[in-house]
Amino acid sequence: MKRLIAALAATTCLTAPAMADDETIMVGFATAETGFMQAYDKPAQDAAMIRIKEINEAGGLLGKQIEVVNADTKTDRAEGAKAGLSVIDAGADMVVVSCDYDFGSPAALAAESAGLPSFFLCAESIKAGIQGVGPNSFSASVLAAVQGATMAEWSYNKKEARTFYRLLDTWTEYNKGICDGFDWMLPKLADAKLVGEDTFLNEDASIAAQITRIKALPEEPDAIMLCTMMPGAVSAIKQIRAAGINSMILNGSGVDGSYWLSAVPDLSNFYVPVQGSIYGDDPNPEVTAFNAKYKEATGGDPSTQYVYPGYVMIDVWAKAVERAGTTETSAVVAELEKMNGEPTLFGPRTFSSEIHHQNQARYLVVETNAGKPGVVDEWTISEPIPVADLMK
Amino acid sequence: MGSLLQIVFDALALGSLYALAALGIALIFGVMRLVNFAHGDVIAFSVFALLWPSVDAVAIVFAGNLPWFLLIPFALAIGAGLSVLSEIVVFRRFRRANPATMMIASFALGFVIRYFLLMLFSSRPKSISLLPALSQPVEIFGARIPLLQLITIVVTIAVLFGLIAFLRRTRFGLEMRAAAENFTMARMLGVRANRVIMGAFALSGALAAAIALILGSQTGTANIMMGANVMLMAFIATVIGGMGSLAGAVLAGFLLGAVATVMQVILPPDARAFRDAFVYGAVILVLIFRPQGLLSARGTKERV
Repeated sequence: MKRLIAALAATTCLTAPAMADDETIMVGFATAETGFMQAYDKPAQDAAMIRIKEINEAGGLLGKQIEVVNADTKTDRAEGAKAGLSVIDAGADMVVVSCDYDFGSPAALAAESAGLPSFFLCAESIKAGIQGVGPNSFSASVLAAVQGATMAEWSYNKKEARTFYRLLDTWTEYNKGICDGFDWMLPKLADAKLVGEDTFLNEDASIAAQITRIKALPEEPDAIMLCTMMPGAVSAIKQIRAAGINSMILNGSGVDGSYWLSAVPDLSNFYVPVQGSIYGDDPNPEVTAFNAKYKEATGGDPSTQYVYPGYVMIDVWAKAVERAGTTETSAVVAELEKMNGEPTLFGPRTFSSEIHHQNQARYLVVETNAGKPGVVDEWTISEPIPVADLMK
Repeated sequence: MGSLLQIVFDALALGSLYALAALGIALIFGVMRLVNFAHGDVIAFSVFALLWPSVDAVAIVFAGNLPWFLLIPFALAIGAGLSVLSEIVVFRRFRRANPATMMIASFALGFVIRYFLLMLFSSRPKSISLLPALSQPVEIFGARIPLLQLITIVVTIAVLFGLIAFLRRTRFGLEMRAAAENFTMARMLGVRANRVIMGAFALSGALAAAIALILGSQTGTANIMMGANVMLMAFIATVIGGMGSLAGAVLAGFLLGAVATVMQVILPPDARAFRDAFVYGAVILVLIFRPQGLLSARGTKERV
């Protein structure tokens, strides 16, 4: 017994220097530096670093400088768990994990079992949070379902869309999430009608059969809710337009960006919800200022809106730490859960003890007209999507 | 009527794609009993060859900007060139190896090509506007179909007739058919093996590039994994068509396209997500009743 206590004491002494309240606060990034997730993690992480730099330049957090430690998940779930443990061992006070739920959860679970708060960089599944990881896990983005619901309600109110067609790519949970939100909203819109639905797979070489079904309708639908993501999205959009269907196309945020527009020249009547505009026309001039900062830091403009959640993440976490006066997990989580419509550069953010994700959010609507995207409107869904509906 | 015709066109267009790919695989299998799993990666390579290497989100289109009469031969040459190169560098060394060893070698070669592309272009899919004029809809007998679909069908049929003429009417075609029938005997009778095999690889590579052009202009996307799905379907087509039978591969390719399209049309919405399971189910049925394939090649049968 004595030996055990001695051993415990020894390990406590060993780990103590890392855990002790140093002169710095440590943020651990267990994200993908290599592999395909890198393309998604890196931009959001760059934005997080910008916010960290701003805080440090303004005197730090609780008077301490924020330091960063990195570990590469190599876009691998097993490596993700290791990366999580490695940043925890390095003394992280908060753990940032990969954008996607599947790839981020191993590191988030490691943080959870170490009793540390964790943030998904931009996961948009309800599982990225309390429901899939635990009570100390958060996501910095907005639920996919909110995107589908936003597009349905906005197009109904602002574009007089009444007949909808639902085209779902069954590849990922994200895609299903968009359509789930759309399905939740549609019955709430008086005399809005679903005139048809179909599915396809992201990797399908051709969606001609699905398009034929749309064309077989007696009338072209007012709007097509397209629940898909890259790279299949480009293919689907291109084929829909090539078949001469001119209905408005509603999407999730996953297709934001102008980098792919060359594939569908002169695309029009195309709508995407975004948290902030990368096109230099955000109603908030500070977003445009942020874009310039991002360009200065990384050498390029943000290529999609998925840069922004990284900034929001550090912003809300730092505020919670400031208010709690400590980085201690339960105090920080309690402060985060008190946030109700907390203003950020990219719209208000709300967390509660029930949900650590946004089930209602302000979205800007970007319209692409003759191949040129630009913000045309903004919309917040009239009521938050209930957690029970999100868990279906 | 119009929509029925539309479905026929959809099935033909998808089937053409599979038939072209299956033909590329069957050609090589015919002359050297190699199932070339690198074929899908040759497709991807042929699209990426039109871009300038960069890891940025925005693709830098390079050769893709050529006018069509230069672009098409350029792409075909790239596909054929890569395919011939792979035969000279890799497969020639496996001439006496058993088919399983060669198949593993082709897998390895596929990985090498894919990771080479990954290194130059990153995993991010690139957008490319290839032959944008083909994205216009045209009207035929009341069916409005994309021009590209029509061209795909016409090109496939033209390629098939061209290939038949080539195999039946030219000396090289005769040698190739002889080699496919009985390679050892053909060599003894003076067929130059390396030349025939290289010819088969060049044709197969050019077919891969043709698919690359069709896929590229249809989807507007260059993705390092883009050939994988077509390759899988094409491989299945060569199996159910009868390994080594060119006509069988083409027939099965069209059949697969038709089954996939019809399934998408007739299945109820909830089952449509599992369309491919139904397609593969149909494949299993075919193989149960005709394990040797729909049209089995003479050369592959065991002789007593």
